[in-house]
Amino acid sequence: MGSADSRLTIAGRELAGLRAEKTILLAVAIQLFIAAFSSFLVVGLVSMYDPGALDGAEVEVAAAGDAVTDLERAADEVSGASVTRYENAGAARLAFERNAADAVVIATRDDGGGVDVHVTAPDTTVETTVIVVQLRDLLRTYEVNERAQRAEFLTESPLPLPDRTGSSPYFTFTYTVLIPVLVFLPVFISGSLVVDSITEEIDRGTLELLRVAPVTLGEIVDGKALAAVSIAPGQALLWLLLLRANGTPVANVPAILVLMTALTTLVVALAVAISALAPDRRAAQFLYSIGVLVLFGGATAMAGGPANAVARLAIDSADAATTALVVAYVAIAAVAYVGVRRLVAENGFEG
Amino acid sequence: MIDRLRRILRVARWETARAGGGVDRRTLLAALALLSVAGVVLGGGLAAGVVGIDVDRDVYRVGVDPGSPYADAVEAEPSLTPVSADRATLGETADLVVLDAERGGADREVAVIASDTRKGEAAAAEFRAAVEAHNERLMATEENATAAFPVTVSLRYASRTTPLDDGATLGGADGGGGGGGSSGGSDGDEATGDGSGEGGDTGDTGGTGTRDSTGTGDSAGQEDSGLAVPSIGGGAFGAGTVGTPGAIAPPFPFASLLLAFAFLVPMNFLIQAYGSSVLDERTNRRGEPLLVTPLSPAEIVAGKTLPYVAAAVLVTAAIAVAVGGGVLSVVAVLPIAATFLAATFVGAMFARSFKELTFVTVGVSVFLTTYAFVPAIFTNVTPVALVSPLTLVVFDLQDEAVSLGEALFSTTPMALGAALLYGLGIGVYREEDLFTQKPVARKFLDALAVRLSAVEPDSLGAIASRDRLRPLASVALLTACTIPFVFVAELLAVAVLFALPVTVSIPVLLVVIAFIEELAKSVHLYAGFERGVFARTDRVAVAVGLASGAGFFLAEKATAVVQAVGLTELYVGRAAFGSVAGVEGLPVGVLVALLFAPLLLHGVATTVAAMGASRGRTRYALALALAALIHAAYNFAVVSVHG
Repeated sequence: MGSADSRLTIAGRELAGLRAEKTILLAVAIQLFIAAFSSFLVVGLVSMYDPGALDGAEVEVAAAGDAVTDLERAADEVSGASVTRYENAGAARLAFERNAADAVVIATRDDGGGVDVHVTAPDTTVETTVIVVQLRDLLRTYEVNERAQRAEFLTESPLPLPDRTGSSPYFTFTYTVLIPVLVFLPVFISGSLVVDSITEEIDRGTLELLRVAPVTLGEIVDGKALAAVSIAPGQALLWLLLLRANGTPVANVPAILVLMTALTTLVVALAVAISALAPDRRAAQFLYSIGVLVLFGGATAMAGGPANAVARLAIDSADAATTALVVAYVAIAAVAYVGVRRLVAENGFEG
Repeated sequence: MIDRLRRILRVARWETARAGGGVDRRTLLAALALLSVAGVVLGGGLAAGVVGIDVDRDVYRVGVDPGSPYADAVEAEPSLTPVSADRATLGETADLVVLDAERGGADREVAVIASDTRKGEAAAAEFRAAVEAHNERLMATEENATAAFPVTVSLRYASRTTPLDDGATLGGADGGGGGGGSSGGSDGDEATGDGSGEGGDTGDTGGTGTRDSTGTGDSAGQEDSGLAVPSIGGGAFGAGTVGTPGAIAPPFPFASLLLAFAFLVPMNFLIQAYGSSVLDERTNRRGEPLLVTPLSPAEIVAGKTLPYVAAAVLVTAAIAVAVGGGVLSVVAVLPIAATFLAATFVGAMFARSFKELTFVTVGVSVFLTTYAFVPAIFTNVTPVALVSPLTLVVFDLQDEAVSLGEALFSTTPMALGAALLYGLGIGVYREEDLFTQKPVARKFLDALAVRLSAVEPDSLGAIASRDRLRPLASVALLTACTIPFVFVAELLAVAVLFALPVTVSIPVLLVVIAFIEELAKSVHLYAGFERGVFARTDRVAVAVGLASGAGFFLAEKATAVVQAVGLTELYVGRAAFGSVAGVEGLPVGVLVALLFAPLLLHGVATTVAAMGASRGRTRYALALALAALIHAAYNFAVVSVHG
């Protein structure tokens, strides 16, 4: 019978509109832009914050004070800093002024048995960040050594640290931020599309025309939702494949796609509900933006939010709880969509 | 003039009344309800302790014996999740296994086996950080604070007293200059010039230009909002541990940046309403009555835009008051707001449907947000940050002085860009474009062609006549107007290609930049031929090609001068933006040749493209590719000569 057919026809009509306007290309371009720029951003930031990224950069420290010997010992253990001893604080500062050193460290023993360290770093130059990060490394090592000398005064000794390993912070970023963002962007776009599609039909009066045709309102909603939901997983898949080609393996791709399709359905249901309540496009888009913001902001902040679920699936740290979460999202999406569709089919759109 | 203002205000009033009807009270109530629900849920969650934006929660699995003290460290770190050591299989159920051998007393040793993947490495790094944090917490509970935290650090930033050489000797002995990627530029050569130690006062370097930071979490009294060093790293430790090494943080204007971002958020809502309003005029010919009034298109558009500009100013001022910004913040955000509105206006003029408009609005907001926000991150690092006016906001929030030159450098290009976009959009604010469904590309050509005057072959006969040069001058002017957009596109190309290795990125960059420039110089010529403004003859093609090339050359030189004055050290590379730097010391003849070689190049390449443009779309595409290749070859030659 024509019911499934008419849904497909409406979905096809929606997709044809998108194809004619080539809007989907713009959507992909936007996502590409976000991906490229966030990578750029991270590479830039990492090269500032990860001393290893600056090839062989070593911070020259001009040191003075009566505790400087231990500081020199600490510098031997740290790769990013070398300490040069000066006779007194004045000489060390002079070296700093003359650009012979990047920073001044004056280490003196105080009366209480501790060490006072006065650090002078250059004011806002390109390297200040790197210098401070390296100094922190040096001083932490220094602190660990000093602490070890005072072990008998401690009730509990600190745990020994495992060996240092080289690792890029970019790795964690890729899985916990970049992939969730790329997976969820198509979700928002699909919902926004539905809002536009429905409010535009109402505005131009073509929804009335459609209703003269032998289709029910529910079928119209189904068709529009089908079109919007169907374009989402493809985009996400494209990104995941691109990342894989780029040397970032993504695990559990089917599960990620199921999760994001469920979320798309949920957001599309929200979009349909909003356009039923506020048929004016401005109001509808405004409400939709806020709704999505609330929904995703809230969900991300909760334990087991969708962004975290995608990250864990992608990085291959998923467990039974993650699978249960995916199933739960599918169930919630199904219930929400069926509920909204029934409401709209019974009450119709306003306006 | 007064009349005109009155007319604009009338349209503005009408627009305000209409916009109020669109977003009615019920909508606002619904939005408020949604937000308050979210607030309640989030508040409840915070109270219950299940809320926290840990996107990296439980991403690494660590096999650890539940009895081991390391289990506590793993437990406390959100990104690590403990797996019982005896059930953990490396690579399958765990990324890292902790072998904790206790050999009596304090003589504990730890070995870590990570799976041999990047994930394993990342997990090991996270684990190390977790143990460090655990130790800090452990020590905070010790009674003997001096033994627990034997080192007290006070960090101070001081400018070197000689202003000339503020480049540090990163990597000192081995050649100076922190050679790594993005940090090039200002450091390097100056560092070797000596500092003449005239301010070598012993004692304190104090006085001007120093800022003290004790970098602790507990010193509420010292926490002043203008501090450039937010103690985000130190908040986790217990009270009474003043300035431990772990608590010092680099001078990253984190808080100011976050606050600056708050200025951008309302723009997204604003442009949604604005775009809807403009497109509303175009659906069902609603804008027709307004069009037949004596109002000019520019007046209509100005009137329609005014309420949104006012809203932007009000919202910005409110945010500025809330976050502690001054007038400078508002002045800096204004061009950003104008560009948001201008780009949306053009998008709404070109879009065929709400759907298309949505994509345009999303595109505009994503693009402009990144363009404004990303450079601001580097506020304290490099002058390039001033490309974005948001950098001024960050400066303002940090209570740092901004010179008039910096403010102008930062705001003028964006304001200019907004004005040009409005010029483009207003060109098609006429019946034949407003109410028709043309593809975006054709509308774009229309908008360009509007700005051109007819060039006929016979009108080129007497070239000396001033009247007859006017059409060519309009061609050159239109080309010159593309400069800001060319600049942005090139910046973008540099940013996107940034991550590639230099051997690949430089050639690709040269070709991409050549293409962008050739496109900018010839696309309006194509529009002129297609819309019949120019006669399709070779003579006309040569004439407009040369005019366009000359216009581009002059505009580029003008911006080069501005750049040389404003900021010479664009790290994005001299390859991208011509050869301003490094021409000193060449003989005059070469200098003159260098100055005019680009003119020749632009003229020739654009003429090639124009010849193609006069012969239809396919020929234009081919000729454009050819022109881009010529241009790229030239760029490549210049780069290799310059070294």
